[in-house]
Amino acid sequence: MAEKAIEAKKKGQKKSSEDYTYVGMVFHRLTRHKLAMVGAFMLIFILLFVFVGPLIWRANPNTQIEGLGGLFNPASRAHPLGTDDYGRDVLARMFFGGRISLFIGFISAISSTLVGALVGLVAGYYGGWSDNILMRFTDAMLSIPTFPLLIALASVLGKGVWQIILVIVVFGWMTDARLVRGLVLSLKEQEYVEAARAIGASANRIMWRHLFPNTLAVLIVSTTIGIGGAIIYEASISFLGFGVQAPFASWGNMLQNAQQFIWNSPRLIIYPGLAIFMTVLGFNFFGDGLRDAIDPKLKL
Amino acid sequence: MRDYIIRRVLGMIPLILIVMIVSFGIFSLVPNPFAALIENPRIKKADIQRLIKAWGFDLPWYLRFFKWFSGVIRGDWGPSLLYPGSTARDVISRALPVTVRLMGIEFLVSIAIALPIGIISAVKQYSVTDYVVTVISFLGMSMPTFWFGLLMMMLFSVVLKRPSGMPLLPAGGFITPGLEEAPFWAKLGDRAQYLVMPVVVLAFSSLGGYARYMRSSMLEVIRQDYIRTARAKGVPERSVIYKHALRNAMIPIVTLIALSVPGIVGGAAITETIFNIPGMGSLIIQAETKADYPTAMIGLMLSSVLVIAFNLVADIVYAWVDPRIKYS
Repeated sequence: MAEKAIEAKKKGQKKSSEDYTYVGMVFHRLTRHKLAMVGAFMLIFILLFVFVGPLIWRANPNTQIEGLGGLFNPASRAHPLGTDDYGRDVLARMFFGGRISLFIGFISAISSTLVGALVGLVAGYYGGWSDNILMRFTDAMLSIPTFPLLIALASVLGKGVWQIILVIVVFGWMTDARLVRGLVLSLKEQEYVEAARAIGASANRIMWRHLFPNTLAVLIVSTTIGIGGAIIYEASISFLGFGVQAPFASWGNMLQNAQQFIWNSPRLIIYPGLAIFMTVLGFNFFGDGLRDAIDPKLKL
Repeated sequence: MRDYIIRRVLGMIPLILIVMIVSFGIFSLVPNPFAALIENPRIKKADIQRLIKAWGFDLPWYLRFFKWFSGVIRGDWGPSLLYPGSTARDVISRALPVTVRLMGIEFLVSIAIALPIGIISAVKQYSVTDYVVTVISFLGMSMPTFWFGLLMMMLFSVVLKRPSGMPLLPAGGFITPGLEEAPFWAKLGDRAQYLVMPVVVLAFSSLGGYARYMRSSMLEVIRQDYIRTARAKGVPERSVIYKHALRNAMIPIVTLIALSVPGIVGGAAITETIFNIPGMGSLIIQAETKADYPTAMIGLMLSSVLVIAFNLVADIVYAWVDPRIKYS
């Protein structure tokens, strides 16, 4: 194959898809997907904004300016995005709120995927009774309207970051469980699994070393899109007042706080909402491109 | 087929029981609302004890579940704590029509826009039109409804005014006070004003999903051999697309539509909250945070049972429109 690549290079031809490793091929296809690239640039921009921004603009997000003159200031040199109802610097709050929103998004999407993968692996690999019980439970969880219960649980569990992550995971693992179970049902019939079993590999080893890696491609796509969904969930919970609590900022509670000032200070609504929107859009574009890139049937 | 349906309906029973127990278990975590009354010196201790006992808050949650459940079976859904003096059933039946009106219109609007643009986008794959539709779908799917709602409100209720100085569209609510007894057409026009913003917000967020689904279903069909055969024998392109391809591409859409129907009853908590619409979504959220479990449970059960039932309906319809599928 190497000779073929050299030959192709000599002739000045482009590489064909056979000359790549799997990851290389996915990456190559991804770079040719326009919307995925737009999404990637949006995400890089957001990450730079949130993590490098505070190094450049060193304002404290919780410092309040004393006196009425410090409240609701419009954009100025001292406060590039103005100040809020407590006289706090909005730009600094956008940085730190973004960190919390992204942190919750990442951790809860990855954890939901892992819980879903565990349930799906066990149900798909063992089959029979454990499959029946686990999948009935998954079906039941899927038919409960998620959002009201999410709010109920968030209202009792308390309002810290980890509690919100827990709530999102409790109601977020079901689709991944179904996805993995479906994949495992077909994967476990293949020869390499039979071979592993023949040399005496334990069920645990077969599940995590042989089956799980083969579901990873699909799970990475679902996690990418899941991060966007989790960020929306966090924002919705905070928006109804059950999320991250003041004085800590999250994009969701900044928006909730700004809602009452819609009449006199609408810009306080625009910034955090735009940030949530851009981030979710970035993850959706990128995740969709990733899905197309790992699908070998599709021409790009 | 009949045996299949009977088996599925029987299978629904444990599913509904699990749903009930999980929801009730979560609601039971909400603290007892009467315990706080002890602080109030004007209420007698004995009265508080009586209330706690009447509502079953003296029992552990699983016993309270049986108390509630035996009432439900006998048709007694319990009183509402959120609206004292009303039964939970009355509270729900006031909210239900409001939500069904809002969500029904939203559903029709988004389907009516999403299906045509999905088809066009598939037929002209990789064209400019396709890209525009794709980008719009993604914008809608990624837009947080609460933010879009607030933006709409800023534009139509704060910035844009009528010549009379009134906002162009009312910022919230669902009917102008005093117009309840107005003539039919005046009432219709009045209600429509209140529905414009929430319907646009909800339709924009859901139409992306429908359009993407329609597009991929259509693309799948267009690749197939029988479409090439139809083109080869000289069938006009219009008729290839709209007669041969569309019929098969609609099969998955029929199930998608069946699966979306329960959402019409469940309501949209966030949008209803922003626009101050007294529908199911916002009612359930209010009820559960005030420990009004009879109301919250009926609301949730209504939508869960519909989700479970319409899953079955979707499968049956699927077999009916596509004779290749056989259940046994």
